[in-house]
Amino acid sequence: MPAAAGKGIADRAGADRAGAGLGRFATRAPLWLALGFLLLFVLAPIALLLLQTLHGPNGFTLDAWRGLAADDNVLVQLRSTLWLGLAATTISLLLGGGHAWLCVGRDLPGAAVLTPLGVAPLVLPPIFVAMGFSDLFPSHGFWPCAILLGVAHAPFVAVLTARGLRAVDGRAYEAALLLRGRARAELFLLRAILPELLAGCLLALMFTVADYGVPEFLTVKGKTWHTYAEGIFGRWTRRATGTTFAEVQSPITAALPFVAGLGCLLWAALRLRAAAPDRGVVQPLPVRPLGAWRWPALLLPLLYLTAGVGMPVVVLVRWVLGSAQKLEPMGLDYARQSFHKAVDQGLPFFTNSVLLALVVAAAVVLLALPLARQSARRWPLLELGAALPAAMPAVLLGIGLLRWFHDGPVLRQVDERFDQSWLFAGAGYAARFLPFAALTLASQVRRQSLAAEEAGRFVARSPVHVALQLHLRPLLPAAWSAFVLAFVLALRELDLAVVLPAANATAVRRLSNAVHFQHEDWSGVIALGLLSTAVLLPLLPSLLAGRSLKSLS
Amino acid sequence: MSQPVTVTDLTFRRPGFQLGPVSFRVPAGGRFAIVGPSGSGKSTLLRCLAGLERQHGGSIRIGEQVAADERIHLSPDRRQLGLVFQDGALWPHMTALQHLQFAAPGLPKAEALALLQQAGLAEQADKRPGALSGGQAQRLGLVRAMAPKPAVLLLDEPLRSVDVHQRDALVLLVRKLADASGTTTILVTHDRDEALALADELVVLHEGQLVEQGPALQLLQQPACAFTAAFLQGAACLPTTTAADGSVATPFGMFPRPRGEAADLRLVLLAGDVRAEATAHGQRGPRGRILAAVPGEAGLKLRIALGEQIVPALAATALAIGSEAHLVLQTPPRLLPWQRRPTATATLSPNPTPNPNTPPNLA
Repeated sequence: MPAAAGKGIADRAGADRAGAGLGRFATRAPLWLALGFLLLFVLAPIALLLLQTLHGPNGFTLDAWRGLAADDNVLVQLRSTLWLGLAATTISLLLGGGHAWLCVGRDLPGAAVLTPLGVAPLVLPPIFVAMGFSDLFPSHGFWPCAILLGVAHAPFVAVLTARGLRAVDGRAYEAALLLRGRARAELFLLRAILPELLAGCLLALMFTVADYGVPEFLTVKGKTWHTYAEGIFGRWTRRATGTTFAEVQSPITAALPFVAGLGCLLWAALRLRAAAPDRGVVQPLPVRPLGAWRWPALLLPLLYLTAGVGMPVVVLVRWVLGSAQKLEPMGLDYARQSFHKAVDQGLPFFTNSVLLALVVAAAVVLLALPLARQSARRWPLLELGAALPAAMPAVLLGIGLLRWFHDGPVLRQVDERFDQSWLFAGAGYAARFLPFAALTLASQVRRQSLAAEEAGRFVARSPVHVALQLHLRPLLPAAWSAFVLAFVLALRELDLAVVLPAANATAVRRLSNAVHFQHEDWSGVIALGLLSTAVLLPLLPSLLAGRSLKSLS
Repeated sequence: MSQPVTVTDLTFRRPGFQLGPVSFRVPAGGRFAIVGPSGSGKSTLLRCLAGLERQHGGSIRIGEQVAADERIHLSPDRRQLGLVFQDGALWPHMTALQHLQFAAPGLPKAEALALLQQAGLAEQADKRPGALSGGQAQRLGLVRAMAPKPAVLLLDEPLRSVDVHQRDALVLLVRKLADASGTTTILVTHDRDEALALADELVVLHEGQLVEQGPALQLLQQPACAFTAAFLQGAACLPTTTAADGSVATPFGMFPRPRGEAADLRLVLLAGDVRAEATAHGQRGPRGRILAAVPGEAGLKLRIALGEQIVPALAATALAIGSEAHLVLQTPPRLLPWQRRPTATATLSPNPTPNPNTPPNLA
């Protein structure tokens, strides 16, 4: 009997081998595809920039550095960027951190609704917020720029702070409360969420200093000061006006310390997030009473949401109604005209934007899934590789991609016009937003029980079936969140839209132009259309299946 | 269908730890436990058996089939094994019924429901792990492992996350399912009671080395080394020194060295071996401080601090906690080496001595 049974195992092993080999190939193919994409669209362009920086005629030499240090423009830009980053991050901390601190586990009126809304300003492109601000206030110069970038990036702090607060064990807080009183217990809580809080601030800082579009928008009329990302783009565009190769090369050289600094910020943010893993099953924090501040405290979340969402939307609606027109009165009649103009002049750009965002979001999730699994389970460094595009200004990534595919010695031979195509623009966007999906999904993979995955190894089914059922299915909620995030970010992306030729025909790029030229009425329609589309997607699960919005944050 | 499992000279290394070489053979249908304290390598050994880790040396045979050696490493799904994980390791997005249907391709729904019924989970068939209690989750983990009718069932501390009331039910279920199918079972645990409840044969591991193996009853009653006595019986093992004449010096006096024993002997003491008395002037022998006292049938059961060791003792008269007591050895001294390495692969008895801990309705 044992011998017969042993033969049974042997026969089965032999019969399964061929099928299993095919299955293993099928389960590994997505990883190889994702690695190929990472290599071609992320690592190679960045490596090329670095290589040209090291070997170019105006490259990484002491003379070049001396030249940079003596360049007043560069130093001023660096200083402006640093101050802008610090000021905007402080505002993000106050608004985003304050929002989460007051809403999560508090008796603030409406906290249940306000908490998930902390992520809402992320839906609006910062350029929309800038438009709103500049329509209501004289918004030129440093502080308006800092305030609106602070508001636009506050969701990073809000979301991570809320995550931190949800991960603190309520019993530990209660122990601190019993032993040391309310004030010390709150300090304990602050200390417990510090890694998430700092990670959120670092992400906000990183996005602020890497932003090109908003500072450019606010200073284009009567330029008084510039940021570093603006400087890089400004020099890059001089390429078209007949500057020397050395002139073109210099922004890359100049960008090197900047990118290195951003890389360090990213590394620190990732480390801090990793240092604050999910603490497993914890008892939620008890409701912490605000006492006499219960109603006054409502002002902060309302201020945050008004500045981040309410005010830009009101301004856009006013544009649609004709607020920018001197000759005709505001009203629904004018809104009808605005709508017709938008259909005539802006609909193709709107369609381009939505389609591009949908394709990019799908591609980003499909690429991020295998990368996230691999980085969470085997190669932790892969996460840093996938996160690299977040650590550099989008304009620089765009320049890198153009250089690699347009000027690159090999790829130029393949298709000269590839860099003009939508495929190229989509790939560039996917590279840009890959970090968000990869980090979200990797974090989710780490939360899943390794033992439960090991249990799947005893199941005599094809590797593809096991991967779909046990690896992919539990990730679907996180994959949906990543899809929505990538969709929203792609829809609102301005910096890459400026650099990548095909993406010039997206709605956000056209809106930015149109607003400069006072075509606010139909721009308002398109902007509201984009906004509605961006909001609709995360709301879909709630509308169709009654899922909580909390999962998105 | 059951299969014997043969492990020959298995070794596994990771930084700061080496397992083995370990050899043993479990007969088809045998109930076998690998016991040892945390860090002894028992879970690593189980993972090697399961195919979740690749051993560095030696071989594993399941029936006539080589599951792993220097060249071959069959994946877990090709070894005809089932594994019950410590914490259930259930799939959070699947219902109880889906667990069985996914784990055993082709299993008819009626059969899956019957299995759930046997495990007392019929009403939980449509529930996900999040809605199950700890005991229910572990029972589901067990029937999931048994659903594909494995030749060998591996259990990784299955009772660890289960409360006391659920333990007996789970023990009964394991034995019922394994006996009905004749499946060979290999349990890993650091819990003596769990091992004695589920296994007839034991292997004791310590710091990656196999220190003793044999029938559970024999190891419990007559351990061959002090480590096994400490681990299975809860005995105190007092260190000894060697006197100039070769005899063994203990806190209770000098004793002749047992024949054939060279070094590192311990004086192994159980509760009945030592009597405690109130201290009096002129007494000779060791004294210790009473840490705890519990009334028992044979008098007062004491735990007494003797130097850095804690010794169990009995007392006929009341002694106060915290006071000093005089200790008297009542039985011939048991001097055993700390650990003893078996030299050859032991084939465990095909008809093992019935374990007295087996539930009476299954014995």
